[in-house]
Amino acid sequence: MSFQNAAALLWLIPLGGIIVALYILRMRRKDVLVPATFLWPERTDEVRANALFQRLRFSWLLVLQLLAMSLFVLALARPQTLQRGLAGTTTVVVLDASASMGATDAKPTRFDAAVEIVRGMIASANAGDQLMLIEAGPSPRVVFPLSSDPAAQRRALQAVRRSDAPSDIEEALRLATARVGEVDGSKIVLLSDGVFNEVENFASGKAELVYHKLGTQRKNVAIEALGSTEGPDGRIVYCGVKNHALDESRVEITILADGEPINSEVATIASNKTWGRTFPAPPGVKVIEARINSDDILSADDYAVTVIDPGASLRVLLVSPGDIFLERALSLDPRVTLDKASEVPESERAGTAGTGSYDVVVFDGAQETAVKARGVLTFGMAGASSGVVSLGRSPSFDFLRADEHDVMRGVNLRGVYIENVERVTAKPAGRVVAEGSSGPLIVVSETDKRQVFVGFSPLDSDFPLQTGFPIFVANALDYLAGSTVSDSFAILAGQQFQLPASTDQPATLTGPDGGATRVEPLQGRYIVSGVDRVGTYALQAGDREVTVYAQLRDDLESSVNSQDFVSIKKNKVAAVSDLRRYSDFWKPLALLALLVLGVEWWMYARRS
Amino acid sequence: MSRLVLSSGELRILEGLRLNPRKSFSGRVRGERLTKKKGVSIEFADYREYSEGDDLRHLDWNVLARLEHAVVKTYRDEEDLAVHLLLDVSASMSFGEPSKLDYAKRLACAFAYVALAGGDAVYPRAVGARQQPAAALRGRSSFPRVAMWATGLAPEGTQALSSDLRAFASTGSRPGLAVIVTDAMDRDAAQGVRILAGRGHEVCVVQVLSEVELRPDLEGDLRLLDVEGRGAVEITANSITLKAYADSLALHNASLAEECLRMGGRYTLVVAGTPLDQVVKNVFKREGWVAA
Repeated sequence: MSFQNAAALLWLIPLGGIIVALYILRMRRKDVLVPATFLWPERTDEVRANALFQRLRFSWLLVLQLLAMSLFVLALARPQTLQRGLAGTTTVVVLDASASMGATDAKPTRFDAAVEIVRGMIASANAGDQLMLIEAGPSPRVVFPLSSDPAAQRRALQAVRRSDAPSDIEEALRLATARVGEVDGSKIVLLSDGVFNEVENFASGKAELVYHKLGTQRKNVAIEALGSTEGPDGRIVYCGVKNHALDESRVEITILADGEPINSEVATIASNKTWGRTFPAPPGVKVIEARINSDDILSADDYAVTVIDPGASLRVLLVSPGDIFLERALSLDPRVTLDKASEVPESERAGTAGTGSYDVVVFDGAQETAVKARGVLTFGMAGASSGVVSLGRSPSFDFLRADEHDVMRGVNLRGVYIENVERVTAKPAGRVVAEGSSGPLIVVSETDKRQVFVGFSPLDSDFPLQTGFPIFVANALDYLAGSTVSDSFAILAGQQFQLPASTDQPATLTGPDGGATRVEPLQGRYIVSGVDRVGTYALQAGDREVTVYAQLRDDLESSVNSQDFVSIKKNKVAAVSDLRRYSDFWKPLALLALLVLGVEWWMYARRS
Repeated sequence: MSRLVLSSGELRILEGLRLNPRKSFSGRVRGERLTKKKGVSIEFADYREYSEGDDLRHLDWNVLARLEHAVVKTYRDEEDLAVHLLLDVSASMSFGEPSKLDYAKRLACAFAYVALAGGDAVYPRAVGARQQPAAALRGRSSFPRVAMWATGLAPEGTQALSSDLRAFASTGSRPGLAVIVTDAMDRDAAQGVRILAGRGHEVCVVQVLSEVELRPDLEGDLRLLDVEGRGAVEITANSITLKAYADSLALHNASLAEECLRMGGRYTLVVAGTPLDQVVKNVFKREGWVAA
C-alpha cells in the first residue's frame, strides 16, 4: 500500500493531540447546589470545555473519536494498493489485431495473451469503471462501447479476431481519443507488440496513453518475395525468403505450381539476410505457391502465392501529384498492383525500347502522354495521344446525360458537383459516354489501345465522395484491361476488393476454415471484405467461382520485433512493465470513518 | 405561612386524634396516658399485701371481710407522654417547592397539635443547627407557641443529622416518642436513629423529600456542591448517572427505614407538597401512628 498524499498523515499528530488534550484537560463544569452529594456517583464521560489538566482516563468515546479521525486522515492521504489490471475508471483498450500479434512467443499467441489481459481488466474493474474495446485490425472496430457491463463485455470479447494484415493503429487511437480524449483521468491502453509505423497524427487529449508490450522474440523467417516474369526461355519464378531472427535459421522452402511441388530445398539463412532463387515455371501453370517450414514464431508469412494468369494481375501506374481517393479506388481491384509516379518513366513512354511494365497508366492532374501500356485512363488534362482534342477549360459544368456503356454501369453523375472542366471534342475513334452542358465529359476510345478520358480531375469535384466513383474506376479498369478476366486473384490479407456482379444474387465467400459469408451485390459489383486471414478463399457468384489467395507481404509485420517504445508524433511512449495498477480505496475508508462516528454518536446519545 | 402553620380545617382533621406509640413511657405529671407504673387511676392493675401507710381508700374491703386478709388494689398510673419533636432545619431542607422545611414544619405542628391535644408533653427541638432546646409544652393552649417556634426556624444548619441525634441522645432526655421530621440527607442517618432508639426512645421518622430529589432535572457536565458543605462531585448528568443516583437514594432510604423498624420505631416517606389530610389519612391513621 502506498499513499498519493502521504503528507496528509501528518495531520494525525495535531488532530490526535487535540482530541487527547480535550480529554486530559479538566472540565470547567457548571456548579449546581444539591441537598447531598454522597448519593451521586463520580461519573464524567464527555469533554466540552476545559481548563486544567487531569489524568487521562479510558473512554470508549475517546477511542472511537481517535479511530474516526485516523480513518479520515488516512482517507485524506489517498491510500492506494497495487491491483492486477491496467484499467482505470474510464479506459479504452486498443487491441492490436495485426499479423505480428499472431506470433507464438506469448502462449498461445500475442493476440490471445492480449485478449486474456482484456478479460482480466474486465474481471478486475471496479463497479462503475467504464471500459471500451477497439479491435485495431486493418479497419478499426469497436468491439464493445464504453460501458460498465462486465457480462456484455465478456460476450463481446469472444468476437475479437486477429487478422493476417497490418493494423491501422493510428486510426484506432484516434477513435479512442474521440471517445475519451475529453474525459479527465481516462486511459487509453494499447495492447500491442509495437510493430507498426510511427503514429503521426494523434493526440491523446486528457487521456493517458499506456502501452503494454506483448512479445519478446523476433525469431521469424518470412517469404519476402514471390513472383514471376517472362524470360527469354519462358516464365521465370523468383522467390525470396528473409530471416528476421537474430540467429541464423534453417528453413525448408517448397515451391508448388498449381498445387504440385516443383522445387524444395533446405537453406540456412543468416540473421537479417535474404535467401533468393529463380527457377523456370512449368508451361501453362497459373498459380505458384511458396511455403516454408521453419521453427519460427509467425506462420502467416510462411506462405505466399502469385497468380501467373494474365487476367489475374493488372499492373497499374498512377501518374499523379497525389490523390488518395483514386489510389484507394484502384486498390480495390484485386488484380491491381499499383505503382505511383509524378511523371511517366522514360521506359514506359511510347517510342522507347522494350516492352512496358504496366498494363494501365492512369493520369490524374498530369497531362496525358503517349505510353506503351495497353490502357490509359486520363483525368482532366488531355494530351496529343488522347482520344479527344482539348478546347480549353470551362470553370463550371452541368451534367446532361450518360450513354449505356460498361464504363458507366452503376455510375450516376447526376448531382455531382464539378468545376474546372476541360472542354474537349472526341476524336473519330472516340465515343462520348457522358455529356454535359459544355460538351463531352467522358470519352472512351479504342484504337491500338483502349483509352478513357474524363474531363475533370477527381479532386476538382465531389465525385470521389460518391459511391459511383470506385465503381467507375473499377469499370474503367475492366474496360482498359480488355477481355482477360481471370478467376484467380492473389490479394493481401485484409484487403477489400470488388468484382463485377453478373447477377443480383448474393455471392458466397468461403474462407480457409470453411466458414461462409454472404456478399450482397452493390450497383453491379461485389464489394468483398473480411478476407483477413492468409489462405485460399472461394467466392461463388452464380455460376462463376473466383478463387482468391490471401497472403501476408509486409516486411514490418514479419519482423515481429516487439518494441519497448512506440513512437507517437515523434514522442516515445515506453512500455509499462507492470500489469498492475494503483487502485484508490479512500472512499471505503471515509465511509468507515462515518460509520465509526455514527457509532460514537449513538453511544453518546445512549448515555445522555 | 400562617402564624399557626396549620389551617383551621387541618386542625379539625387532627382533632380527636391521639399519638399511638408502640410502647409505654413513664411520665412526670399525671396525664391521660397509662404507664407501667402502679398508681392512682380508675384502671385496676393488681393486688398486693397491705402495708402500713397505704391509702385505706384502696383497701379491698370485700377481700378483707371474706378472707380476713388485708390487700390493697393497685392501679395503672396515667401519666403524660414525652413527645420529642425533632425538626431538621439543616440547609438541605431548603430544597423543593414548597421547600421541604416549610412542609416539615406543618407536619411537625400537626404532630405537636395531636400530642398537646392528647395531654402529652411536647419537647420541640431543631436538629441540624445549634439551637437551645425549648421547654416542654403541655395542653392545647400551647399549640400557638409550637407554631411560633416552628415559624421562626430557617434552613441554615450545617450539622449532620446523625451527630445532632447523637447529641440529643446523650442529653439524658426523658424517653418518649421521638418524632423526627427530616430529609435524612446524611449518610449516617440510620446510625443516629439506632443511637436514639438505644436510649429508650421510640423513634418515628418522617422523611420529607422533594420532587427535585426524587427526580432531579439535571443535564450536562456539572459540579455538584453539597449545600451543607460536604464536598463536591463532578458528574456528567446522563441517563446512567441519574439511574445510579436513583438507586443510591433508594438504598439509602431503605436502610433508614429498615433501621427504624428494626428498633421498634416507625418510618414513612412523604413527598413535600402532599396535602396534609392525605398524609394523615393514608399514612398516620392507616399505619397506626395515631389513633382516634
